[in-house]
Amino acid sequence: MIEQNSITEIWVYLSGSPLVALFITLVAYQIGLTAYQRTKRNPLANPVAIAVILVATFTHLIDMPYDKYFQGAQFIHFLLGSATVALAIPIYRGVGSLKNRAIPLLTALLTGGAIAIASGVGIATLLGADKNIIGALYSKSVTAPIAMGIADRIGTSPTLTAIFAVCTGILGAILAPTILNLLRIKPWWQRGFPIGVAAHGIGASSAFSISAEAGTYASLAMGLHGILGSIAIPFIYKLFN
Amino acid sequence: MLSGLIQILLFQSLGEVISKLLLPSLPGPVIGLALLLCWLIIRKEINPSLALVGDALSQYLGLLFVPAAVGVVLFLPQLKENFVSIVCALIGSVMLTIAGSALVLKAFGHWKKLND
Repeated sequence: MIEQNSITEIWVYLSGSPLVALFITLVAYQIGLTAYQRTKRNPLANPVAIAVILVATFTHLIDMPYDKYFQGAQFIHFLLGSATVALAIPIYRGVGSLKNRAIPLLTALLTGGAIAIASGVGIATLLGADKNIIGALYSKSVTAPIAMGIADRIGTSPTLTAIFAVCTGILGAILAPTILNLLRIKPWWQRGFPIGVAAHGIGASSAFSISAEAGTYASLAMGLHGILGSIAIPFIYKLFN
Repeated sequence: MLSGLIQILLFQSLGEVISKLLLPSLPGPVIGLALLLCWLIIRKEINPSLALVGDALSQYLGLLFVPAAVGVVLFLPQLKENFVSIVCALIGSVMLTIAGSALVLKAFGHWKKLND
């Protein structure tokens, strides 16, 4: 009896500190990462998706409400801003590839960005989705850390935006090769860039596993879409809401 | 490594200040990103300490949005209700976006060939 009490006490103590939330988040992501590497970067074994499912299941099992989990895990969440600033580094590395192809690439980015919003918001509106769901679709093709920043500014849910961004990334990584083959797009840079425009970091990661050139152009597209999106999306959102 | 972290936090803070005072529609970290990018273009190099911290953050970028994404548990009933429209919007949109931007690049390629 005494022993059981002390275990309960330890558990009460631990679950009150950020330790539990931090620990399960890191372990879940590590499991996701291992699965991703074991399946040779199969987009379906996306580490973020796996980690979210594992953490959600586990916190449900131990009866930990979301706000309590987040209170502990916010130390990880805080680094999102710093990671966003650090995205300048891959963009800088890709800027060299922009030089001779700036006009086609920027035109493709503007077209892709416009299509991403128009089609996502358009289809969801036509099918009668709820207003906050539609709002979270505006920045779904932007890399998740920036998309969440935009969502925060325009007053839509950062959580839904992050989920839609991750799903978009996974879908883009799976569907891109088929679409690009159907359209007979052959040069690696022409294959990589559209993946980055539509499916940001997850797309870029899958592009890198096929060709370094495609990956570089995909990361460049991801970075530029992040900057363009954070400037343009608040205005576009205001226009329709 | 410490100096790399300091540089990133410095640009992030600058971004937050500018966002608060001048450009409230832009998230602070994005302004920080733009400032750091300009700084790198001017300096024409990435110092090793900054590269180390930057690459570590990029490598685990996915981990950083797990805490917020777990919040999806609060939206499960609504996501279930809107399931069909969300799936159609996400799949349709990503396909059209890839196709649209790829066709623009292809068209430019053709145009360049005609001119050469």
